[in-house]
Amino acid sequence: MIAPDWFRDDRLPHIYCTGCGNGTIINCTLAGVEEMGWKRNETVFVSGIGCSSRAPGYILTDSLHTTHGRALAFATGVKMARPDLHVVVFTGDGDLAAIGGNHFIHACRRNVDMTVVCMNNHIYGMTGGQGSPTTPPGAISTTTPYGMSEPAFDLAELAVAAGANYVARWTSYHVKELTKAVVAGMQTPGLAFIEARTQCPTNYGRHNKLRSVPAMIEHLRSHAMLVQKRDRLVAEGKPIPEGTFTVGELVRRSRPAMGVQR
Amino acid sequence: MKLVIDESRCKGCNLCVLVCPYGIFREGTELNSRGIVAPVLDRPERCTNCRLQALYGRMLCGVCHMICPDQAISWVEEKPFEPHKVEVEF
Ligand SMILES: Cc1ncc(C[n+]2csc(CCOP(=O)(O)OP(=O)(O)O)c2C)c(N)n1
Ligand code: SF4
Ligand code: SF4
Ligand code: SF4
Ligand SMILES: [Mg+2]
Repeated sequence: MIAPDWFRDDRLPHIYCTGCGNGTIINCTLAGVEEMGWKRNETVFVSGIGCSSRAPGYILTDSLHTTHGRALAFATGVKMARPDLHVVVFTGDGDLAAIGGNHFIHACRRNVDMTVVCMNNHIYGMTGGQGSPTTPPGAISTTTPYGMSEPAFDLAELAVAAGANYVARWTSYHVKELTKAVVAGMQTPGLAFIEARTQCPTNYGRHNKLRSVPAMIEHLRSHAMLVQKRDRLVAEGKPIPEGTFTVGELVRRSRPAMGVQR
Repeated sequence: MKLVIDESRCKGCNLCVLVCPYGIFREGTELNSRGIVAPVLDRPERCTNCRLQALYGRMLCGVCHMICPDQAISWVEEKPFEPHKVEVEF
């Protein structure tokens, strides 16, 4: 097991379903924290509500499991009161972009010095599979039985537009790259947003012809396109294949940040 | 180093089977006492990390252990060429 000093052994195995990618993303985030050399008593994990938001409960540090959508608001408070602490937020696509959408854009605008890891499984996992703002067009969920008819949010692009200093996107298949992105985000002063696309076999895969866990991972892997490749295709005037999403580092910059300790 | 699966944690998702470049994990066939079909190991001594971790002093490859969502994969110390005592029960 990764980062054994950071897991609450007595709480494992966690409640996540067989093959749920959330566990993988916790591994990658903790591997990043370990690489940063942070101390447990100087690190705080904050989350909202959802399967993804249960993550801090398995980590051996002080943490805040807050109300739905408000993880970033609480995390901002922690950072303002104690800028000496390292703040890491775990959130879900529903938590971050639906009910918490306003907190998301304003935390990015303020560029609060923290690391936000969003486990984007394209669905409300915990409540039984309702459509979320990232459910792809055509996908079946319990609230879109004929297929999602609304366009989806691109969370990483949203964070870039709103002003976060570091933005990257990977998937639960790209474990090494995801860990590197977490570390790069933690090193960057200001808000670091890392979107980790992940599989929810229970409430997404089951309704979308991706019943097995390997099939879901393969779907993520084959639809991920490096930003550099996307840019090259655009420059050459070639079409971007339907359903692909970009992965890699989307931005790393030094806009003025809030809560950075001098 | 010896590769082990902690069967008290494994939920049998077979992601390790998917990622190992040596095919060390094989889909299992038998239910364990927790009602889970955990993968079985096929000649785990071939694993890069089993062979070379001590030499390099760091984790090598390790993708199975990073992707395992249930923190079930780890390595335990093993003395090389230690004779194994075999007990035969009658
Ligand atoms: C104020 C409020 N509204 C609604 C809910 C019900 N609820 C709980 S979790 C959830 C969605 C979670 O989705 P997401 O953030 O994507 O997390 P996941 O379970 O997919 O990881 C909702 C709507 C709630 N707990 N509180
Ligand atoms: S419902 Fe989906 S997101 Fe929640 S634990 Fe199960 S697989 Fe994971
Ligand atoms: S560390 Fe790499 S080679 Fe060794 S078992 Fe895991 S995936 Fe296979
Ligand atoms: S990845 Fe982990 S939980 Fe899944 S089958 Fe392999 S050892 Fe078990
Ligand atoms: Mg979700």
